[in-house]
Amino acid sequence: MGLGKFVEVGRVIKINYGPQEGKLATIVEILNDKRVLIDGPTTGVQRQVIPIRRLTLTKFNLKGATRGARTGVITKAIKKNDPFTQYQNTIAAKKVAKKALRAKLTDFDRFRVMILRKRRSALLSTQLKALRKNNAGGKSAAQAKGGNKKK
Amino acid sequence: MPAKKRTVRIGNWYKSDDENVHFVRKRKAPRPAKLRKIVPGQVLILLAGRFQGKRVVFLKQLKSGLLLVTGPFKINGVPLKRVNSAYVIPTSTKVDVNGVNAGQVDDDYFKRTQAQRRKNEQGFWAKRGELTAEQQAAEKTRLDGKRKTQKSIDDALIAAVKKTPLLKQYLGARFSIGKTTRPHELVF
Repeated sequence: MGLGKFVEVGRVIKINYGPQEGKLATIVEILNDKRVLIDGPTTGVQRQVIPIRRLTLTKFNLKGATRGARTGVITKAIKKNDPFTQYQNTIAAKKVAKKALRAKLTDFDRFRVMILRKRRSALLSTQLKALRKNNAGGKSAAQAKGGNKKK
Repeated sequence: MPAKKRTVRIGNWYKSDDENVHFVRKRKAPRPAKLRKIVPGQVLILLAGRFQGKRVVFLKQLKSGLLLVTGPFKINGVPLKRVNSAYVIPTSTKVDVNGVNAGQVDDDYFKRTQAQRRKNEQGFWAKRGELTAEQQAAEKTRLDGKRKTQKSIDDALIAAVKKTPLLKQYLGARFSIGKTTRPHELVF
């Protein structure tokens, strides 16, 4: 457990709880050890005070966010360097997006996904078979022969 | 002076002891069930009966309130069938039914014929397989007519189904719930 992400002005956070669940915002001011002032003009989060308990910190920072900066200043800083789109490219964000997409699948979609997965797995297994055959001249040859004898 | 007669209303009908009156429906004609946003051409999942789990195309609502539905027969073995809308899950998948004419099918199409009720006519001890020659001929024409109607409706449907990739296989497959599926979270 090293020095990871800090609660600081400009830290991009994700809201975990409440009506704004799932949205991103930036920390604008730290009020005390439990509450911060956040703002997310481009992500639909109104400037508000929120307990730190309801947030998770991301590894991104908004450059140019100063303590107590107003929404206009924040918006300008986002225009210059947008950490929110950078966050959407992370694996964590993509997982969340995938989960949301899967929840929306209709019965027909689920059927199509099943068929496509089967096709993909069939393609993979034929490729794998071909590779195994090519490598039969190597150290796995003896094992393969031994396996065949067992049959 | 004659005493004033006290009129007591006495019913004309007294039920005898051994008469067993079953539930008598007060409303003679069935009220057609209100269709909860099911549209002709929509794919439905049947939940009960021999074809439970089968995905089926909805054609129209009949006067009795039941839904007229077909497999199509060639795809999943479900013929023209009446189905109660309570035992059905409507999915969001729709098939184009503009070319399909189900106008000639109604509740009478599904009525049992004389030949089908022959057992009751001939009595308990009569052999069940026996039909007179005329009855057999009548049965044959009746069934041929039914096959014709089925075919005419299905051919138009199958042509529409083939336009969407994998839709034919989808209709041929049954719906089932596995260990990890959460039906209340599924979007149909």
